Amino acid sequence: MPEYLQTTIDKFTFKVATDRRYSGDGIWLQETADGRLRVGVTDFVQQHSGDVAFASVKATGTTLSAGDEFAELETVKVNLSLPLPVAGTIVEVNPALDTTPEVVNQAPYGDGWLAVVEVPAGAIDRVGLLDPPAYFAVMRSQVEQELNQQ
Amino acid sequence: MPESKDRVDVAVLGGGPGGYVAALAAARRGARVALVEKTRVGGTCLNVGCIPTKALTTSAELLLRARRAGAFGLLIPEVGLDLPGLMAYKRTTVDGLVGGVEQLLAASRVALIRGEGRIKKPDTIWIEEGNGRSREIVATHVILAPGSVPADPPIEGRHLPGVIGSTEALDIDAEPRRLVVVGGGVIGLEFACIYEALGSNVTVLEMTPTLLPGATDEVIAKRLEVLLRRRGLEIRLGVTVERIEQHGEALRLHATGAAGDTIVEGDRVLLATGRWPNTVGMGITDIGVRMNGRAIAVDETMGTNRPGVRAVGDAVGGAMLAHKAMVEGRVAAENVTGGCRRADYRSVPNVVFTRPEVASVGWTETQARAAGADVKVAQFPFSANPRARILGEPDGLVRLICEVGAGRVLGVHLVGPHATDLIAEGALAVQLGATADDLAWTTHAHPTLPEAMFEAALNFRDAAIHRHSR
Repeated sequence: MPEYLQTTIDKFTFKVATDRRYSGDGIWLQETADGRLRVGVTDFVQQHSGDVAFASVKATGTTLSAGDEFAELETVKVNLSLPLPVAGTIVEVNPALDTTPEVVNQAPYGDGWLAVVEVPAGAIDRVGLLDPPAYFAVMRSQVEQELNQQ
Repeated sequence: MPESKDRVDVAVLGGGPGGYVAALAAARRGARVALVEKTRVGGTCLNVGCIPTKALTTSAELLLRARRAGAFGLLIPEVGLDLPGLMAYKRTTVDGLVGGVEQLLAASRVALIRGEGRIKKPDTIWIEEGNGRSREIVATHVILAPGSVPADPPIEGRHLPGVIGSTEALDIDAEPRRLVVVGGGVIGLEFACIYEALGSNVTVLEMTPTLLPGATDEVIAKRLEVLLRRRGLEIRLGVTVERIEQHGEALRLHATGAAGDTIVEGDRVLLATGRWPNTVGMGITDIGVRMNGRAIAVDETMGTNRPGVRAVGDAVGGAMLAHKAMVEGRVAAENVTGGCRRADYRSVPNVVFTRPEVASVGWTETQARAAGADVKVAQFPFSANPRARILGEPDGLVRLICEVGAGRVLGVHLVGPHATDLIAEGALAVQLGATADDLAWTTHAHPTLPEAMFEAALNFRDAAIHRHSR
């Protein structure tokens, strides 16, 4: 599979990384070498939300249920509440967010990650995450829906 | 024997914001008043506190703005620091305001007595006027307003040259290359911002896990911490300084913390570890005034346990703020001139002149929840406020702590441009028991910073106009 699936709609190009899984509302989760999950937002979410002025992620040690807010992005347009797709405990917060929150816009799949979460073994397979092509399809329909509203 | 003995209605010991305001207010109400001050009127605030630091803050801000002139379409080819000029500006600002207070006292027929005062009996103040001269004042009412002094923390090496307090930090002859500030409270952070703007590398060491402990809402403190780091300040929390050593040209601070022992080096060290009530050596305890630790114990009328003796300001503890002292001075003055007034601290704002500024009034979210209130926090960021963006200062936010249901505003907390001015609306809301809807339906001029207040208030019903949440 290529590194990214991508589509250009109305001048905007949206990428979906192919090495991780997704929730329908644009949170990506990627397993780390030690079995934890690195979590961030998709390219579509960052473009749709605007320039991130401030990112606050729940402190390390916070235990959350699936669907609880784990982070909030304050952009020039919107306050975006991000739900954690799977129950777990925050074990790391991206230290770059404090000084350079724009990293979320610049590299949503890379340096702009938000948190690392520890989850029970196998939990990620039980919550119905989307694989890249499935999220790609969801994202396309979300983009088209947005365009139709305009 | 004293050379003269005067009888007055009210004698005030200490000419700071608590004392001089008490003197003026009592005089306005017809009392014969004497005010005893050993140095200059205005106290810590006017002489070595609020006022000179704000002069420095003003210059520091202008400097930063001038450096960003290009962003505003201006060419200012040469921007620099003139330290003697800066010191002169600070001095003339202070002198002008001290002179103003002296004129007010004179115009109000308050007798200003220069000298070191001591309370001998509940109705008698003894004043050493210098050159062996002394006098005694007998007063129907005495108001003690001796203020506070910098705390003397038990840090080994605190008397080394180059280790300074907030008073010395006001006199800048050359900006230190590396300044280490011990204490992440109001005083420490204001100086940290001033020196950083003037060109120093600044490291702040704070003992507690948060900046501005007890002075603001935790979310605001965290936001300030991040914004100060973005400006380039190094901030270390949960770190206790144990000793300071000379190490060649530099000063070396040995500190302990959760992450282990650390060493921080600087050219100058500012100790800003708070202030203590100044209550020693004035005979206060000798006449049987009850104390509350270092502070004078007072009731809501500012009365001590000794009839006829009241006390106000930093010396009675609580928040060490000039405006809190002034309110207490007015309360005491009314009560010694036939009035009946109780101190009401609900709307005492806390203000911090960092960049961006911080201001708070009323309960924090944590305090409100601890008190059993069911609260909803309504927020609005300055990045969505047009005026903040015009000013090029879009960082910060407004937080309203509201009671669920009617939406009564229990607390207002801000970090952002001109937060210290904006908090006046919050103080009014808290004092009047206003609701979020009251604020939301008060029309705020456009485009102004206070619009962030009503937008936050609209968010109590998740209805901010220039913002949406997903």
